[in-house]
Amino acid sequence: MPKNTEGQDIVSIQNVIKEYHLDKVVVPALRGVSLSVEAGDFLSIVGPSGSGKTTLLNLIGCVDVATSGTVLIDGHDTKSLNDRQLTDLRLNTLGFIFQSFNLVPVLSVFQNVEFPLLLQRKFTKEERAKRVDELLEKVGLDKHTQHRPSELSGGQRQRVAIARALVTRPKIVLADEPTANLDSVTGENIIDLMKEMNRVEKTTFIFSTHDAKVMSHANSVIRLADGKITDGKGAKAGAH
Amino acid sequence: MSWFLLLLQTSFRNIFSSFLNLVIGLIILVGTFFFVVGGSLVDSIDKGMSRSIIGSVAGNCQVYEASSQDSPAVFESWQIPDLDPIPDFSKIKGPLMSDPNVSAVVPEGINTAIVVYGNTIDQVLEKLRKAVSPGTRQPKAVVDSLKAHVRQMVSVIQTDMGKVNQIAASGSFDPQAGEDLKKASSNEFWGSFDSDPFNHLEFLENKIAYLIPDSDQIFLSYVGTDLDAYQRAFDRMEIVDGQMVPPGHRGMLLSKYDYEEMFKLKSAHRLDQIHEALTEKNKKIAKDPDLQDLVKQNKLQTREIVLQLDPLSSQKAVSILQGTLNSKETDLSKLLSAFFDTDDSNFESRYKVFYDQLASLVELYRLKPGEMLTIKAYTKSGSVDAVNVKIYGTFQFKGLEKSGLAGSESLMDLMSFRDLYGYVTPDKIAETKALEKTAGVSFVSRDQAEADLFGGSSDVEQSQQKAINDKAEMGGGAKVKRVDLTQRVYTQDEIEKGVAMGAAILLKDPSQLKATMKRLQAICDKDNLGLKVIDWQKAAGNLGQFVLALKIILYFATFIIFVVALVIINNAVVMATLQRVREIGTMRAIGAPKSFVLGMVLTETVVLGLVFGALGSALGSGFVMLLNHSGIPAANEFLYFFFSGPRLYPGLSLGSLIGAFIVVLIVTCVSALYPATMATKVSPIEAMASDE
Ligand SMILES: Nc1ncnc2c1ncn2[C@@H]1O[C@H](COP(=O)(O)OP(=O)(O)O)[C@@H](O)[C@H]1O
Ligand SMILES: [Mg+2]
Repeated sequence: MPKNTEGQDIVSIQNVIKEYHLDKVVVPALRGVSLSVEAGDFLSIVGPSGSGKTTLLNLIGCVDVATSGTVLIDGHDTKSLNDRQLTDLRLNTLGFIFQSFNLVPVLSVFQNVEFPLLLQRKFTKEERAKRVDELLEKVGLDKHTQHRPSELSGGQRQRVAIARALVTRPKIVLADEPTANLDSVTGENIIDLMKEMNRVEKTTFIFSTHDAKVMSHANSVIRLADGKITDGKGAKAGAH
Repeated sequence: MSWFLLLLQTSFRNIFSSFLNLVIGLIILVGTFFFVVGGSLVDSIDKGMSRSIIGSVAGNCQVYEASSQDSPAVFESWQIPDLDPIPDFSKIKGPLMSDPNVSAVVPEGINTAIVVYGNTIDQVLEKLRKAVSPGTRQPKAVVDSLKAHVRQMVSVIQTDMGKVNQIAASGSFDPQAGEDLKKASSNEFWGSFDSDPFNHLEFLENKIAYLIPDSDQIFLSYVGTDLDAYQRAFDRMEIVDGQMVPPGHRGMLLSKYDYEEMFKLKSAHRLDQIHEALTEKNKKIAKDPDLQDLVKQNKLQTREIVLQLDPLSSQKAVSILQGTLNSKETDLSKLLSAFFDTDDSNFESRYKVFYDQLASLVELYRLKPGEMLTIKAYTKSGSVDAVNVKIYGTFQFKGLEKSGLAGSESLMDLMSFRDLYGYVTPDKIAETKALEKTAGVSFVSRDQAEADLFGGSSDVEQSQQKAINDKAEMGGGAKVKRVDLTQRVYTQDEIEKGVAMGAAILLKDPSQLKATMKRLQAICDKDNLGLKVIDWQKAAGNLGQFVLALKIILYFATFIIFVVALVIINNAVVMATLQRVREIGTMRAIGAPKSFVLGMVLTETVVLGLVFGALGSALGSGFVMLLNHSGIPAANEFLYFFFSGPRLYPGLSLGSLIGAFIVVLIVTCVSALYPATMATKVSPIEAMASDE
């Protein structure tokens, strides 16, 4: 598998355990996971339902914290950051693509993509417009900028979501089962698009899936089962 | 900035995005609608009432002696406030007038008088006495007609007593009275009348008159004032009957409302009331118990008319009634009862017959402009004093004709007022001296006064009446004095140099009330006038507090409505927020800070509130405009006063619009505060949850 030329770990996870507490029952979701992701990687996390894919992505995405172990994102230990700093990290370093697209229904396609730029508060209106239009052209939605999400098909919506995730030029884009709500042809197109972005923008992509076809597009693959990495470089790292 | 624009834009788009928002919006719409309409109505009533109060008696503000126990209450004539007098009005007028915003200072004092006027029989006997007296002798025909009238009255009272006697146990009546009546109705008595009229008259006056009592005791509330100054200052006042009291003269103007209520023939006044209800208020006798009651009273109380008619007039009345009723009945009383037994179909025609044909036979008013009225009032010391005052006419306030409140006070010249209030004026000193010289008695003893006042039975009343007459006519010198007084013309100096109970102050610019009052109080304090300045609202007593009470009710109701709205909106926003957990989580996940989420929920609720609030305000304003166009009719006499006329034309009040805006802002902010903080706690993990 081709490696990123710089070979730097943008994500580094050490012995992470994540447990959910349901009443008095403890549900272990991740049971000692170690993993490093190099910048520019196009990484797929695969595994059956309930194996801990979403949990792992949540930890990388700084929307959740590990019960124990360390999670380093672009050199930041997420455990030592407060909510404000985590939010900034999500805003500036990460991008998200969701399984259910999660667009803001009352905003237009353009506004949905512009949204993270507004939150960043560092671009003028013209700069924002330029970036948004460029991206929408790349994802093939330049004719739909003023449409509402409800007027788009599922594949189109996920393209908007990809544009939204990339608009801030994040280092890492996370996608939890981005094709689960799409038919297989559309799903493959979406993965192709992501791959294209990965190639052009040099953005690191980490996406989960349980679809073998989707998985086949990845540069590297991590297999999860029962909260543990069974295969892939994480497993190797864990085996050290 | 663009951040906030996005929030606003999102908020506007979100307004119609959920059913819950519509519920919230509707609550706010209804709330602001009522707030704007209610506020405008209350403000308009406030304005109407202040116009009524300021324009009739109170003026913009009032001054009174600071040492007084109470403060003026110009509309509470049933409870005269305890005020210390201002010893010399002329001394305070100048300093008060020196303020540039003061246009007039009018001396005022309010008191309640007891007015007793005599029996019809007394009046007829008096006419008869004049008609047979040497100086004022009348032709035989007039004397005969008066004699016949007295005979008729005696027979009326005989029948009345006969009826009562049948019901009551025998012996309950003074048998002597029966004998006297029999004598007064006998042919022998009337046959011998002309040979010795004065003895006969004396018998009738002493033995018979008290048996036919229809005298009335009326409480008359009046304002003693400089009448000319008053008329100039209160320009809504207009003379209805008679004339204005000539400048500098003593005299009284009765309030037209009181005049109709108290001095008009009762049957006629009741007809007027029914007529007004039918023609102006669209009421129906068949449906209105009050009107049915009036009809019933008119049916039963015919004696006032019967007693007034001499035999000739009675005959005319009978034939008119027989014609109208198509009846062969000859008894006037029965005919009148039948005539007054009206319903919705025949009322107007009967009303017309009454005024066109019957009214000319009777005296419609028991007192007419130009006549004297004996007025008894409590003096400052608690005793009763009496003064004869000429009634020059009646007056009313333009636009307040139908308001009993505005017409609750008659007007009296300041000189007579001072006499009645028990303050010794130079006139009074001279008069008392003259009386004491000629009659050797003091003016009126307190014991006598109290006996007069509290004696109950009709013959005591009789003597009371006599006492007043005696006093007025006591000794030639005194009588001349009285006549002098009614003719006397006082200079402005004489009117102003003396006691006043207070003064109404009228302003050129009423909107400067508070500032002017401050300056006036400063003038009073600086010049040691010993006066206190109060605004019209305070001077009107409880009435002035009415609008305040109305406002409190409105604000309290609004407060309750908005507290309820607050709770409902709070719940609705909580529910709406719960429905948006995924959306909020997504925003948090892609980097929106908590402050953004807080701002978003607050802005959305406030924008929603303002949009629907504006809609509600617009609808409310429209409704007020509509009311302004059509007017709200004053359903009763009280509203007439509050509306300052027959209809209220409410104006849109800017205050209530601004108030609605502020209230909506507060309510939405407060009710969104909890859901907004709740929204900030939504975890970005919520964004990850899959659809199932
Ligand atoms: N919020 C939660 N509370 C309790 N248990 C959870 C929660 N989220 C996930 N789990 C449990 O953790 C395990 C891993 O879940 P998840 O990471 O969603 O797996 P995947 O995404 O691979 O299907 C599962 O057994 C799941 O039931
Ligand atoms: Mg999952």
